[in-house]
Amino acid sequence: MPSRVIAASYDMSAGLVTQQPSSSRRRRPRLGRLLLIALALAFLGVFLALPLLAVFLQALAMGVGAYLSAISDPMAWAAIKLTLQVAATAVPLNLVFGLAAAWAIAKFNFWGKSALITLIDLPFAVSPVIAGLTFILMFGAHGWFGGYLRAHHIRVVFAVPGIVIATIFVTFPFIARELIPIMQAQGKDDEETALSLGASGWQTFCRVTLPNIRWGLLYGVLLCNARAMGEFGAVSVVSGHVRGLTNTLPLHVEILYNEYNFVGAFAVASLLALLALLTLAGKSFLEWRQPELRHAARGPRDRTRRERT
Amino acid sequence: MSIELRGVTKQFGEFAAVVNINLDVPTGALIALLGPSGCGKTTLLRIIAGLETPDQGQVLFDGQDATRWLIRDRKVGFVFQHYALFRHMTVFENVAFGLKVRPRRERPTSAELRKKVRSLLELVQLSWASDRYPAQLSGGQRQRVALARALAVDPAVLLLDEPFGALDSQVRHELRRWLRRLHDELHFTSVFVTHDQQEAIEVADAIVVLNRGRIEQSGIPGEIYDLPVSSFVHRFLGQVNELPVQRRQGRAYLGPLDISVNAATASDGRESIALIRPHEIEIGPETAGWSATVVAVRVIGPIVRLLLCAEGQPVNEPLEAEIGRERYEAERFATGQQVGLRFRRWKVYPLDAVDSTPADAAT
Amino acid sequence: MMDTRATPIELEFHKPRPVLPGFKMTLGYTMAYLSLLVLIPLSAVFIRSLGLGWDHFWEIVTDPRVVASLRLSFGASLIAASINALFGLLVAWVLVRYTFPFRRLIDAIVDLPFALPTAVAGIALTSLYAPNGWLGAALRPLGIKVAYTPLGIVVALTFIGLPFVVRTLQPVLEDLDREVEQAAATLGASAAQAFVRVVLPALWPAMLTGFALAFARAVGEYGSVIFIAGNMPMKSEIAPLLIVTKLEQYDYAGATAIAVVMLVLSFALMLGINALQNWTLSRHGAR
Repeated sequence: MPSRVIAASYDMSAGLVTQQPSSSRRRRPRLGRLLLIALALAFLGVFLALPLLAVFLQALAMGVGAYLSAISDPMAWAAIKLTLQVAATAVPLNLVFGLAAAWAIAKFNFWGKSALITLIDLPFAVSPVIAGLTFILMFGAHGWFGGYLRAHHIRVVFAVPGIVIATIFVTFPFIARELIPIMQAQGKDDEETALSLGASGWQTFCRVTLPNIRWGLLYGVLLCNARAMGEFGAVSVVSGHVRGLTNTLPLHVEILYNEYNFVGAFAVASLLALLALLTLAGKSFLEWRQPELRHAARGPRDRTRRERT
Repeated sequence: MSIELRGVTKQFGEFAAVVNINLDVPTGALIALLGPSGCGKTTLLRIIAGLETPDQGQVLFDGQDATRWLIRDRKVGFVFQHYALFRHMTVFENVAFGLKVRPRRERPTSAELRKKVRSLLELVQLSWASDRYPAQLSGGQRQRVALARALAVDPAVLLLDEPFGALDSQVRHELRRWLRRLHDELHFTSVFVTHDQQEAIEVADAIVVLNRGRIEQSGIPGEIYDLPVSSFVHRFLGQVNELPVQRRQGRAYLGPLDISVNAATASDGRESIALIRPHEIEIGPETAGWSATVVAVRVIGPIVRLLLCAEGQPVNEPLEAEIGRERYEAERFATGQQVGLRFRRWKVYPLDAVDSTPADAAT
Repeated sequence: MMDTRATPIELEFHKPRPVLPGFKMTLGYTMAYLSLLVLIPLSAVFIRSLGLGWDHFWEIVTDPRVVASLRLSFGASLIAASINALFGLLVAWVLVRYTFPFRRLIDAIVDLPFALPTAVAGIALTSLYAPNGWLGAALRPLGIKVAYTPLGIVVALTFIGLPFVVRTLQPVLEDLDREVEQAAATLGASAAQAFVRVVLPALWPAMLTGFALAFARAVGEYGSVIFIAGNMPMKSEIAPLLIVTKLEQYDYAGATAIAVVMLVLSFALMLGINALQNWTLSRHGAR
């Protein structure tokens, strides 16, 4: 610590003379602010709002009657049913996985934990088309299990099971990635307390863990479902595009569009767009309920925020 | 540069942060703004810096109305409580920042810049840290970098917001002395904010005591300590004992001691209390004054604190007296000992106003 | 965590047993799920391509059409991610720093590309930018064609990557210490100078992350692109489409080879960006 201050060649009195600045300087920041807001809104308007608007306007281009008949078309119904079926299968399976993975990762320490987390993030880094390709390579006619499946008359690719599997691949990270940070942040205290009071593992899980994570769980399910119902690339590769049988809603949109049935295509698309808006609304609600959900990374692990293991 | 505040008022929503402040800071003075949290001292400092704009009133620099000037045109150096150093820049780059952002005409050449930054780092004794990052420095070192950075732009005024608040007591002590010496050598005008009355008394030329957005009292440290104008100031600077004043037969008493020094007190009907500082209590043999029992003795370095329960006073509110170490060694007061109390000085304040001006005082 | 009540001798000879139950079960299930779903299928791609032999693999991969599609996919993704980095910063800044009507609503809409099925986005964008669409018709007099050209691909990829940069930057912007900007102002910096010298360096790591995420997403994107791209080989055909085309022709070898190249390139790029991030973080000294 200095016991003596060295004044050196430093002369404080040689300050600059203060000058009266022009008053117009005050107004410029406000203009700049408005400009930035306008620019940002214009960007969002062109890239987000217009496409959304286009879907609904194109769907209703020929009037409400044409819209309704396009939606109630039997092929459209079959597609809706299949989409719902696939989601109803994939989401619960992914839910179980998500809970198991989050439990293992959040409540225990083990070697290879970060490798596991990276693995869970993998589907985000893989193109959906490549995902579909891998399942064709495994379960297709010339695939590893192709012979076995054919012998037992089981169709996986170009049939519904293939679609389900492809959907599961693309959507399983969602629930896990929402639950892991939440459960990590909550720690083990509550569960250890329950155990010390005599609860079994299952009781602890059902009565203590689940209630603690319910908003994060809903959030993950919401996102998982949205993606499951809307998946296109991976499903397109494995489905075989058989109308009425292996056509999900997004695939049906493609078929109608390629047939130049624009009203039909947009009508079906509008259903999916409504689903998207509902998902966004649900998301906002859940984020309002539990603000920590707002900033979960939207892709592979966000490395700028150091993890607290 | 001198600073003058005229009628400065600032509200945040419903909350009145500062109300009708009038203040004069002459060139080259080192002023402390002292008060409890929420009293408005930081708001006032930020108004001077331009970080807040007053709702009413004027801020004058050397007589010029600077109330609406932008922050960067005010040429004030501001040292934040938590330093606000640029984390991604080295110490050298932090200090050089103010010089680098000057308009082209006023910008020094890189040789001039290097010379200036080096001399500043020498001034704050951190030349060795020139290439370090703030994260690698201790709190006291970071504070000195913040100071050097503020000084680099040749400010006419230096403003410091609780500059030593976040530091250990030993470091605080040393930095206080250091800041005072720096000021004495370089003679800039300086205003700093603190809630620590010890710090204000030790460092400043003059203290401005603020409470609830208003100035309670301003003056040199000794004056404020010895001649407080309100019970708030009296209580805030240093320790006080509080005793209710009893009125009997037209005279005022503290216990058995007659304190009515002038007629005005005697006829005043309001309830009042007397504030007495620990070192203003005289302790003598039991017969020499108000009977009291020594409840506790605490030796604290050069002073000794005695807790005394005076006769007739509630047991859980003992009086606190301070005597010098030598006196204690001579008399060896012990717990349970009976002594007699007298008061050398006291000040009486009416009880109805919580923070009020004194009804009368004694020398 | 370690059982600290254990004696030293116990610690040497026994692995500490976790207090909570279910570790083996959950980890086992997780590993099984991941193996079946991720590890094995992905390895199928690599093993299959290994079976091609190096010469054949190289021949497929250096085919002009394949090279063109890869260059288009990665190139367009790079451009789209850059646009998103720039405008994402703008949008994040405006959403965090300023208040204006409907801000909450607009903030929620930013996630639209995340929630909207890619096929829906694809046909919507195409209808907008087609020569007779709202925007396509407006741009036609300027001589700019968007639909069925590589420019259309960039537009679609920009849409798809939009939320990534914004959502990565928002929390960082919100946590930014305002006092540091005020300090810069007291030192004489203008708003622009303070932004460039003080704020931007603090945002840089998050921007890189957002860029990387947007880029990764864009490279593999299929559904939103194939409608608006012309899908003409050598000109506007993206790599995922080429893979699908080859699959439809039962050219598994070709499809696999392209997939391997895409995976390897993406992986290498991610590693590169990661290294860049670590270097940037280390420059700030210990955090």
